[in-house]
Amino acid sequence: MSQNAHTPRRLSPSARVALGLFARYGTILGLAAMIIAFSILSPRAFPSVSNFTNVINQASLAMIIAGGLTMAVIVGELDLSIGFAASLHGLLATGLIVSNKLPIPVAIAIVIALGALIGFVNGFIVTRMKVNSVIATLGVGTILTGLAFAYTSGVPIVSGVPEAFLQLSLGRWLFGIPNNIIIMIIVLGTLWVVVERTSIGQEIQAVGGNPSAARLAGIDVARVKTLGFVISGMCAALTGILLASRLGSGTTSAADSYLLTAFAAVFLGSATLRDGEFHIFGTFVGALIIAFGFNGLNIFGAPTFSQYIFQGTILIVAVGLSSLGRLIAES
Amino acid sequence: MHETTGELGASTSPPLVRASGIAKSFGGARALKGVDIEITAGEVHGLVGANGAGKSTLIKILAGLVQPDAGTVEIDGHAVSLATPHAAADLGMNFIHQELAFIPSMTVLENIMLGIPKKSRFGTIDWRAIERDVRPIAKRVGITSALNANVKGLSTAENWLINICRALVRKARLIVMDEPTASLSGSEAEKLFQIVQELSNSGVAVLYVSHRLDEIEKLCDRVTIFRDGQSVAQINKDGLTRARLVEGIIGGAVESAAARTASSANNKIVLNVESLARPPMVNGVTFELHEGEVLGIAGLVGAGRSELARLIYGADRPLSGAMTFKGETYAPKSPSAAVKAGFGLVPEERRADGLVLNKSVAFNAQLSNLHNIVFSPSLPLLNFGKRRDGVEKIVRDLAIKTQSIDMAVGQLSGGNQQKVVIGRWLLRQPKVLILDEPTRGVDVGARAEIHRLVRDLALNGMAVIVISSEPDELPDLADRVLVMADGRIVRELQGDALSRNAIVAASYANIEHNRTA
Repeated sequence: MSQNAHTPRRLSPSARVALGLFARYGTILGLAAMIIAFSILSPRAFPSVSNFTNVINQASLAMIIAGGLTMAVIVGELDLSIGFAASLHGLLATGLIVSNKLPIPVAIAIVIALGALIGFVNGFIVTRMKVNSVIATLGVGTILTGLAFAYTSGVPIVSGVPEAFLQLSLGRWLFGIPNNIIIMIIVLGTLWVVVERTSIGQEIQAVGGNPSAARLAGIDVARVKTLGFVISGMCAALTGILLASRLGSGTTSAADSYLLTAFAAVFLGSATLRDGEFHIFGTFVGALIIAFGFNGLNIFGAPTFSQYIFQGTILIVAVGLSSLGRLIAES
Repeated sequence: MHETTGELGASTSPPLVRASGIAKSFGGARALKGVDIEITAGEVHGLVGANGAGKSTLIKILAGLVQPDAGTVEIDGHAVSLATPHAAADLGMNFIHQELAFIPSMTVLENIMLGIPKKSRFGTIDWRAIERDVRPIAKRVGITSALNANVKGLSTAENWLINICRALVRKARLIVMDEPTASLSGSEAEKLFQIVQELSNSGVAVLYVSHRLDEIEKLCDRVTIFRDGQSVAQINKDGLTRARLVEGIIGGAVESAAARTASSANNKIVLNVESLARPPMVNGVTFELHEGEVLGIAGLVGAGRSELARLIYGADRPLSGAMTFKGETYAPKSPSAAVKAGFGLVPEERRADGLVLNKSVAFNAQLSNLHNIVFSPSLPLLNFGKRRDGVEKIVRDLAIKTQSIDMAVGQLSGGNQQKVVIGRWLLRQPKVLILDEPTRGVDVGARAEIHRLVRDLALNGMAVIVISSEPDELPDLADRVLVMADGRIVRELQGDALSRNAIVAASYANIEHNRTA
């Protein structure tokens, strides 16, 4: 299988063990080291319950969209439409509530159904029309951006957003825990159960691991891949809705940047505890690392540009760690 | 435990390669427990042993792909370190892998020279000079295609020749061949044997690793037998018999093939295939399959057997023809539809098409049986107890050697991987099971077990189709054999007419017929 004529330098067994541990636990150690370092450097601002709650609250939206993306990458595809989709969804939710005067739960249901539909379209293009998922979802995402501009003519919906909708994201309805965190825990918890503890989860993992073997074992690969996209689309919709609720407005392009954050979280996650395998808990840890990193940068007053540099760097490091894990698993 | 027969020649010069006391563990599993092997220049040295006996590990050590935990390797009597494949190649050790890898967009010559320092002229590669050097070597090993032809579309046999040529360009002194004839046709294999002989005559040693004992008997000057990570015997040509090889491999006398059961020809018909076609590989195939029958499909590589299986299994769609399954029209749109209807397939390429290698034995074994291991269809939560019970049963019944059912299936030996794929269908219990080359690359012991298992399944009413390229395999195993050539069934053999020679004759007869027609 991996008979490379020029395998690079052999690793000594101890080096391999050390590298293996680094690849599996490096992210968790990094998270711990970051928290400890920030606590020492900024003992007043950083290590407090309110700051931690705040960080996780902020990160919840990224975690939800990254959790959805995890489903797409587990089945072996990429979904680049999620950020653009979430922007459109936020806009649409606000519009349905403000302009069409729809009851909030109805508006939310419509938007999440639309998210599922977009995922289904992605899945259809990839599995039936055999278009590479990078191209397919980039195309769909671009179309969605166009639709978002068409919907608002580029003017954000800012006035007339009802307080009840704002409370969806800003409220603390259970034990004073921010709603975003509760919703995030429910979403990630459900996804974890689906992947790790259900028969469809086994099919999802098989399709990602070896589509050819999965197909010949009697699994409907196209259906499973489409399901991955549908879940990804629904999570993007939920993130878009919560973001609109938090911002109190519907703005085009508001959620675009979640794409990069979600990818960084997912790849960092694949280097967490397992050797380069995508999984929900890993994505959660990955998103935490990014969130605390940003929080640290904020606390120390780092300029805005450094956040881009941080995010780009962490994406590359994440993918690097992920492939390192896979290399070690194969050796 | 070391048994040597015959004289090793009275020469006092050190052997080309002497590996002694080689030990290697992977994780907790001891693949090699201190093996010795000695290869003299210019000999064809056979290496045999059951899957998991440690042959592959030793080869990888000689190729510099794996480092031993203990032991020494000497070349010409000097201890050497084979730290990388490059270092090994520099010392003349060359390794031709079971699954050959080329860069498809490159020419034959470019692939031969891949990674080898090349002559250059004014700073650019001097392909003309290189071609002048390589051409005689290519001719010697019998490469007929042009050196500037693209490697894409070349046959497996030609790929082998290119690899051997590559080894010779690198000034190989030892060429390791791992299951070289596994995907070669009869005539291609004959050609390879000639080349092996020529290599040997010109002083290049060949370490020939194969499960095919007839080849070992025919070709090898000496044979080393591995069992459970130890070298248990070394046999010289004059003492070489099939019985001794088998005895050494399994460590005891071999059990005879399962007794033939009563004819199943009168049983109910489960599957009716009528003029099924998908040219150019399948050109109108008609046959019936009975309950409790083992139906063999024989023929040469490229006769359209696997392609026929894919049509029956819904992996490809026929362009014409029809099937009825249990009296009803059967036209599966996909393998998943076929599985739902009651079909199962053990594919030819188990690693590529059968298994998710980084997932556990349990994961892979239960992959077609998921609906049976959930609490309820409406809430498909996995019942891990049920899942484990099923897997433990097949691990026991099929004697799958694994440390635990949670071990990654990619770490098992080939025969055990095959048993996991077969075990998957034991758990699912289809009505029709198709096995495509079920014993390829599988050791003698596992092969007998797989045969017994197939008979048992048929005895319990399952209809089994076995595709095999080995004419020896089907007469023992099948009730009836269809011989295919050029996408058609050219002969049906059963009863007394069913024999190895009849299968071989029918496989080739039709090709002659078509050529003259």
